[in-house]
Amino acid sequence: MPKLFPVQEIGSLAKPKWRTKGLRQQLSTQDLSEAEEWAAKLGIQDFHNRAKSILKTGDDKERVKAILELSTLYGLRLFETTGVDNDGVGGEQQRVEMYEHVIKAVQGMNLLGHVHSFDNKYFNKGVAESKISRKHPIYVPEFLDVKKYAHRAVKVPITGPYTLVDWSFSGYYIQKQDASSPKTRKIEAKREFLLDIVEEIIRPEIRDLVDAGASWIQIDEPAVTTHPEPQEMELFVEAWNETVKGFNCKFSDHTCYPSETGYKVLAEYAPKLDKCDQLALEFANRDTSRLGLDEDSREGYSDLKHFVDAGFSGEFGLGVAHVHDFTGNVSSGAGKSVGRDLIESPELVRDRLLFATKIIGDPAKIWANPDCGLRTRTWDVAFAKLANITKGAELAREAYQ
Amino acid sequence: MSLEIQLAGIHPRSERLIELTRSYERAKASWSQVEVQLEQETREVIKLQESLGFKHFSDGSLGWQDQLRPVTRSLKGVESGTRYSRWFDTNTFYQKPIIVGKVSAGDIDPKNFLRAELLTGKRGRKVTLPGPYTFSQLSENKHYKNHADLLIDIAIAEREIIRRLKNEGVTLFQLSEPCLVYQPYRESFRDQSEVDLALGAIRSLVKDSPGDFVVQTYFGDAAPVFPDLLDLPVFGVGIDLFETDIFSLNEQEKTSKAFVLGVVDSRESFVENPNWIADTARKFSEKVDARELVLASNSDLKFVPQGIANQKLEALSKASELFDGGQ
Repeated sequence: MPKLFPVQEIGSLAKPKWRTKGLRQQLSTQDLSEAEEWAAKLGIQDFHNRAKSILKTGDDKERVKAILELSTLYGLRLFETTGVDNDGVGGEQQRVEMYEHVIKAVQGMNLLGHVHSFDNKYFNKGVAESKISRKHPIYVPEFLDVKKYAHRAVKVPITGPYTLVDWSFSGYYIQKQDASSPKTRKIEAKREFLLDIVEEIIRPEIRDLVDAGASWIQIDEPAVTTHPEPQEMELFVEAWNETVKGFNCKFSDHTCYPSETGYKVLAEYAPKLDKCDQLALEFANRDTSRLGLDEDSREGYSDLKHFVDAGFSGEFGLGVAHVHDFTGNVSSGAGKSVGRDLIESPELVRDRLLFATKIIGDPAKIWANPDCGLRTRTWDVAFAKLANITKGAELAREAYQ
Repeated sequence: MSLEIQLAGIHPRSERLIELTRSYERAKASWSQVEVQLEQETREVIKLQESLGFKHFSDGSLGWQDQLRPVTRSLKGVESGTRYSRWFDTNTFYQKPIIVGKVSAGDIDPKNFLRAELLTGKRGRKVTLPGPYTFSQLSENKHYKNHADLLIDIAIAEREIIRRLKNEGVTLFQLSEPCLVYQPYRESFRDQSEVDLALGAIRSLVKDSPGDFVVQTYFGDAAPVFPDLLDLPVFGVGIDLFETDIFSLNEQEKTSKAFVLGVVDSRESFVENPNWIADTARKFSEKVDARELVLASNSDLKFVPQGIANQKLEALSKASELFDGGQ
């Protein structure tokens, strides 16, 4: 019988200071002191040799390559040390972030500048200025480093085509449309842009990853739940099915923070996604921080029933830990609030997993994971959260068996 | 028929101001440095409007952190927690107002809405506010049992904000009501009885209020509510022409209304051709008998970088010349 409630990460970890600084300039011994502390914690045996070579080299390219490789190794070992069953790609240390990292590798696209998201937060938005093509492999160099060091199965997260298009201006694609209605032009442009992203960027990337040995690809599509209209959902399904067509590998979808209608619309369309073996979704963010298996305590997981009702038969990656600032109250035994963080207790993780099992029915279909990538948390907090998810999964296994 | 150009919401910040606010967040710049830049950019936005022949001037709302925040902070009975919700189907967010008690006007500081001191000499001043229906829809109601009561209380409270802004010389108020035409956050779309309630709240807001009002719809098709909008006792009605097909609008007798045409797309970087803009405005004026036409973006231009936003305003200005020339 396979291990019940295996634990996975979702993608990113914060970038250590030495990694960020080291990409821009030469590092000092002092800069690497934090890395030295973590080396002991994570069992990085050859840290001193690696540090010496990073400090010694005068070649910028060589230094950057060594730092990216080392930070990837750290991410992998953090996952491994906390007991995560899947290594991921070491916390996406080799990526700027999920959108820009891809757009910078797309011929025909240009980052236009920042637009306001909220408060003093912004995002750099790209535009398609001509028909697009791939300049160079996007994720493969990272995967090759990961392969060298990972001890367990690797899941490669990639940004999905629907999200890339939704977060970009259509530019060239909208100008070439000739429908008289602006609304029709926009929809037709989006479809053409989307299918080009699939064919020219994402499929070649998946082909390269599979050829290099990737056996599980997680497609991140946070934008999909922001457009619950049938026309948009059909577009998403069409793009997904084109993306995975003909590849012999495991695919999963990661979606998070839907609009206020929740996951209901995604649930309706999920059974139409070809080869979608798993949906990894954010739930802890909308749940209470109380222990218990009753519906009120576990209100955040109620949307799971929509997927079951709609007939989705794959696995679920269950978000059991919050990844953003936490300001609420924590009930006794449910965890501890430390500054802006909530460290969920293993018991709270257990209750979330057991409650989800009641809805889904088959515990073999449930993975435990944080709501999303942990890039907004410090490594100390990420470590504590993942370690408690692992312990919580163990408690759930004991309770179930 | 006269034609003018207006801003229709929040204008984007420049890369310089963006970098400065980011530095402020990282404690590497002071708030006073941000304020100096904010003031300079506000002057530039006003100057741009001047150079493009605007008659009603906005300050660009560059300091607004989201479309609801200044109103939220001016009302009693409304709290703003730390919860952020998605602004319709965009990749931007707003701080969700939480209704925790009876809503009424609170401590209103006009400076949170308008930099009036930078608009000296400008007689036509415009401010954009969320309409009462949209504000109520985008809030979390923890107090009212009856939604109609909440709506009316918001309308009455907003009346006080308007009165205070009128004292600052504001002559034109845009009440943004995207929720009248688009509700992606709800499982079921509003029905006619809800539309009637929404319109009732707007009526209550504008009744005996000083100034001219425009009810602006965007992100959705205005055609189904168009006849209702025309019945409102307001100066003008705004329509998103990237969502609304002109030919689906009911032909009207003389309407005596001004129409704000959202005819450049604030969600696309492609700058519209002035000829196309002018043609579209002409098609509209052939279909609907308007007292006045205003060319504008379909919603806040904050969804595009500032350089693109300014080019779109220039395209509107050129289009207005072409429109006049073609009349």
